[in-house]
Amino acid sequence: MRAVRAELAKLGTLPSVWLAGVLAVVVPSGIAMLNSGVPGPDRGYQELAFGVMGVIVLGVVAVSSEYLTEGADSGGGRQLTTSLTAVPSRVRFLAAKAAAVVLVAVPLAFAATAATMGVVHVRLAEQATALDAGRLAGVVCYWTYTALLAFAITVLLRHGIVPLTVLLVNTSVVSVTFLLTKVTPLAYYFPDMAGMRMFVGEIADDRVMISPLLGLLVMSAWVAGLLALASAVFTRRDA
Amino acid sequence: MWFSRPLASLVGVITIDGLVKRRGGKEILAGIGFEARPGRVTGFLGPNGAGKSSTLRILLGLDRADAGTALVDGVPFPALADPVRTAGAVLDGSGAHRSRTGRAHLRWVARSAGLPPARVDEVLALVGLTDAAAKRVGGYSLGMGRRLALATALLGDPSVLILDEPLNGLDPEGIRFVRTFLRERARSGRTVLLSSHLMGELAETVDDVVVIDRGRIVATGTLAEVTGAHRNLEDAFFALTSGSGR
Repeated sequence: MRAVRAELAKLGTLPSVWLAGVLAVVVPSGIAMLNSGVPGPDRGYQELAFGVMGVIVLGVVAVSSEYLTEGADSGGGRQLTTSLTAVPSRVRFLAAKAAAVVLVAVPLAFAATAATMGVVHVRLAEQATALDAGRLAGVVCYWTYTALLAFAITVLLRHGIVPLTVLLVNTSVVSVTFLLTKVTPLAYYFPDMAGMRMFVGEIADDRVMISPLLGLLVMSAWVAGLLALASAVFTRRDA
Repeated sequence: MWFSRPLASLVGVITIDGLVKRRGGKEILAGIGFEARPGRVTGFLGPNGAGKSSTLRILLGLDRADAGTALVDGVPFPALADPVRTAGAVLDGSGAHRSRTGRAHLRWVARSAGLPPARVDEVLALVGLTDAAAKRVGGYSLGMGRRLALATALLGDPSVLILDEPLNGLDPEGIRFVRTFLRERARSGRTVLLSSHLMGELAETVDDVVVIDRGRIVATGTLAEVTGAHRNLEDAFFALTSGSGR
């Protein structure tokens, strides 16, 4: 489809998307390198759960680049006006953009998984956990969903800084959603906390057990809900 | 869909009727209507804040009207089967992301319309940006950004051109280029609708004039009709919009 090809061309010519690609591979494999002294059943998987910065950047900038205003001295325009005059159907535009994000996020997830598991298996040798197709599929799913969540949130906010900061901090420095699990067990149903269950067996001081399948369902519901909300808002408001 | 096939008589015609837009409880368009026809340059004139940009944004489907219709070829812009080949638009600035090159920007637009990549080089040459095509848009001057916007609008060689303040930020040479260019578009049977608050700059370019003031159309007609007994278009404009607080 032409609109998807146009969105892929946009992503491919945005420097921050290339940065996202580098982050996607370097962050989880780098953490795996640092952690490789400690074997465990979740080694590699845990790094892939917390190393999702690359796809967060991807999902955010795919949208925020549309809203970035040119400086007042260069006329104060935004790319979004060009996008919507080329593809005026809001639903088609948003669907094409989401599809392009998925088409980039999936190969990034594969590359990151290969790099991370490669590091784990080289460093831990026979102490490394055997690869499991179901868990690896969970990683790819989690990464793709995370990109789509970042995408939908940025559509709602029309600006990249806040979602980028909040989502990156949450996944790296202080996991707010994880800390909230100390306050209420409901926090285990946040998309990141639930989605990780697709491939991470144990989350520190687990008080709520969520099966991989339930994790998939919970995160799917979050993604579907936020995408539906984002497209409802996007189709109704002035560009 | 039956309505996406234009009636022959409506090809290239812009029809605006009864357009109402409210923002923050204030009525910024109070039921305006006018037409722009093929083969003519229509100047949509008014002071800053009169509602020109709002009208053009609604016409392009970017903003929503509270009432009324704005049609290109007899259909709302979002329902056009092939928008890039039907209508080109020049709005604020360049409409491009600053970290992309001019050529990369035009390429994705061309791709969205299924246009050949060779067309990108044609429009770059047409607006005189060939030498800057590999530069990032962030490094463009205001005038270069405007040329890039014009190149984008021309990609699909559309029968309708819609331009919001196209002369803003252009040097005298650029103004002359745009004027001559728009005259030629009209001569070849295309429709040109441009907004401006600069009357003096436009008198030589436009055939038809629509004057808007505080969300209302205060005059429409040919340049001669609107100028009427006044010395020139500028005098007529100030007489028609007097007291609007400029």
